[in-house]
Amino acid sequence: MVHDRAARSTGPAEPTGRGPSRRSVLRYSALAAALGPAALASCARDQPLGARPGASASPLKIASPTNPVIWPIATDNKPIAAGLAPEQNATLQLYNYADYIAPDALKSFEKKYKKYNVKVKVSTFNDASEALAKIRGGSVPFDIYFPSYDAIGKLATTGLVRPLTHDYLPGITNVWPEFQNPFYDSGWRYSIPFMVYTTGIAWRTDKVSENIGARPNPWNVFWDRKYAGKMSVLDDYRETISMALLYAGDSDVNTSNQVALDKVQADLLTMTRTSHPTVTINAYSDLPGGRFNISHCWSGDAVNMPYYLPKGGDPGILRYWFPEDGRGLVNNDLAVLLRSGQNPVLAHLFLEHLLDPAVALANLSATGYQPPQNTMTAEKLIADEYIPANLKTAAVLPGAFEIGFRTLELAPETDARWQAVWQRFKAGA
Amino acid sequence: MKKWLRSRFRSGRSDLFGVLLSLPAIVWLAIFFVVPGYVLLAIAFGTVDPIFRAPLPAWSPLDWTFGSFSFVFTHLWGGTDAFFGPAVLRTVGFVAAAMVLCLLIAFPVAYFVARHAGRWRGLVLALLVAPFWISYMMRMLAWVNLLQTDGLANRALSLGGLLPVQVDWLAGRSSTVILGLVYGYVPYMVLPLYAALDRISPSMIEAARDLGAGRTEVFRRVILPMSLPGVAAGLILVTLPMTGDYFTNDLLSGSPRTSMVGNLINEAISTPGQAGQAGALVSLLILGLLVPMLLYVRSTLRGQDVRS
Repeated sequence: MVHDRAARSTGPAEPTGRGPSRRSVLRYSALAAALGPAALASCARDQPLGARPGASASPLKIASPTNPVIWPIATDNKPIAAGLAPEQNATLQLYNYADYIAPDALKSFEKKYKKYNVKVKVSTFNDASEALAKIRGGSVPFDIYFPSYDAIGKLATTGLVRPLTHDYLPGITNVWPEFQNPFYDSGWRYSIPFMVYTTGIAWRTDKVSENIGARPNPWNVFWDRKYAGKMSVLDDYRETISMALLYAGDSDVNTSNQVALDKVQADLLTMTRTSHPTVTINAYSDLPGGRFNISHCWSGDAVNMPYYLPKGGDPGILRYWFPEDGRGLVNNDLAVLLRSGQNPVLAHLFLEHLLDPAVALANLSATGYQPPQNTMTAEKLIADEYIPANLKTAAVLPGAFEIGFRTLELAPETDARWQAVWQRFKAGA
Repeated sequence: MKKWLRSRFRSGRSDLFGVLLSLPAIVWLAIFFVVPGYVLLAIAFGTVDPIFRAPLPAWSPLDWTFGSFSFVFTHLWGGTDAFFGPAVLRTVGFVAAAMVLCLLIAFPVAYFVARHAGRWRGLVLALLVAPFWISYMMRMLAWVNLLQTDGLANRALSLGGLLPVQVDWLAGRSSTVILGLVYGYVPYMVLPLYAALDRISPSMIEAARDLGAGRTEVFRRVILPMSLPGVAAGLILVTLPMTGDYFTNDLLSGSPRTSMVGNLINEAISTPGQAGQAGALVSLLILGLLVPMLLYVRSTLRGQDVRS
């Protein structure tokens, strides 16, 4: 299986590069496109210009672990009946980030439902606002979409997603218990979990002599002049601002506190001056490629890194640090059914396919990202070399979500504050 | 008025024909410039839905609001809040440096091709343009590889490891971005320069020589003045795309300390709630670029007057 991955890595590594991340990009822009034009117009009329956004009652509920949300099911958007036969001669349309699902997973599905002559087609996007605009436009009847969990509220309230019929999805018991009834979608009415990941620091031991993880505050490495110009931080406002908050010892990664955000602003500007990191989501290829020695990245990126080393490169030089006490960022992505899809039965069957441990393993193998499967324990993944021993810290442990911090959906006015910080940072002032 | 029109059309069928000929261009401009331009204004002067923060274009100028423009203006100059300012200054600096370099590189090349390449000029021109058959993105990605710390550029500079040269080209350096811009746009400089230089009749130069001008004198008093329209066209052609470029910077630096106006726009577009700001920035950029464009058009018109 590991060889499959190596083979894949010879392919182009998302050369466009500059687009926001495959995973967290929805946080940027889901809002932009979520409502239909008519609804937008009515919002506009209700809202006098210049009104403080916070003054209005948001129609959007903000889900959090302490405030789980059950998304309503509209009367005109009922789940399909149980026990229906799959559609014949159908082409199942998937809409996903590039390289975020195993080609084997698609093939095995086609094979499994061969007698229905099913084809699976994946369309990819770089940017979630582009994705949502296309989904709303409805020009392509996508069946399945892979958003981040903080987008589910918008998708559900605007009726873009189809409620799940649980009878088709007995495999839900394969996933970690917290995802069988997640706070962001209580009763998993619309979503199944797809991948889980942490955010940490990757580095190369051949270029960095110290153990970054052994620093009292490892995050401060991004302010260390010693590594200036040879490091990267994530091109994702939630991730990098949260990192700066953690660096400052503030664990409220969804803060609306302007004082804390001002501190982050100052710290980020200092970072640009002292260590000037590149702001990118391509560390998974650029760190092994030699451009960076230290990168702020996702655990899945770290697991992927060995396959982007130059020929003959030693994968043993790679390290990944995530706070040992688990007090770092942990997040997950979802798979949802779109209401526009023409093949609801097959789409349910595909979600069930994703929940299959063998398919989940194929996905980990191909993407580096870990599905939250009960059978995929960290020890097993390391023993079977899906995750190299030197990167074992990149495995997401089941308890991670109890301790770790989640970047929750932000209230619009808070989000605007975060974006203002990010805008100023990116402008290089 | 009607009389004038009639006389215009009667005065020559060529006028009507001219209108007909220009029709495709007019339609093209209307569809791909005027309409999008208006959409841009509607977004820049529009509002943002306060809950979902998607742009709400204001189609009627009566509904236009100036929030985005005033935001951009207040953050352009003066005070500690002017965080757009440095990127604008940087853009001006980068583009100016890249323009000068483009000219310095392109002029000798164009001169050589026009005057000395002889029967090889077709081939030389084709070779100059050949790399540009590959997309801009791929070429920039190739540079990312060449400019790695252990990449070919450093190996060449260190003469294969003899000299201790270790330049971190990709570490957010202004020089790398400028070089990227130069590389990306230099052919747009070569071609108009070549056209201008090629047009200079050899007899002019011979005449200057006969009248006693030395080589430098010929260059200074004949070739250079006569190539100025080409220089102007070339400068315009490279300046326009370079000023709005964000991609070169994204790939070759990616550090905020080299952010250009194009990056500000790109960042604003992909952020909910900032589409209006992006629209305002684009409008201002277009206005800024119109100035050299109009100057150029005026100078070429004047040139035509002189010729006719």
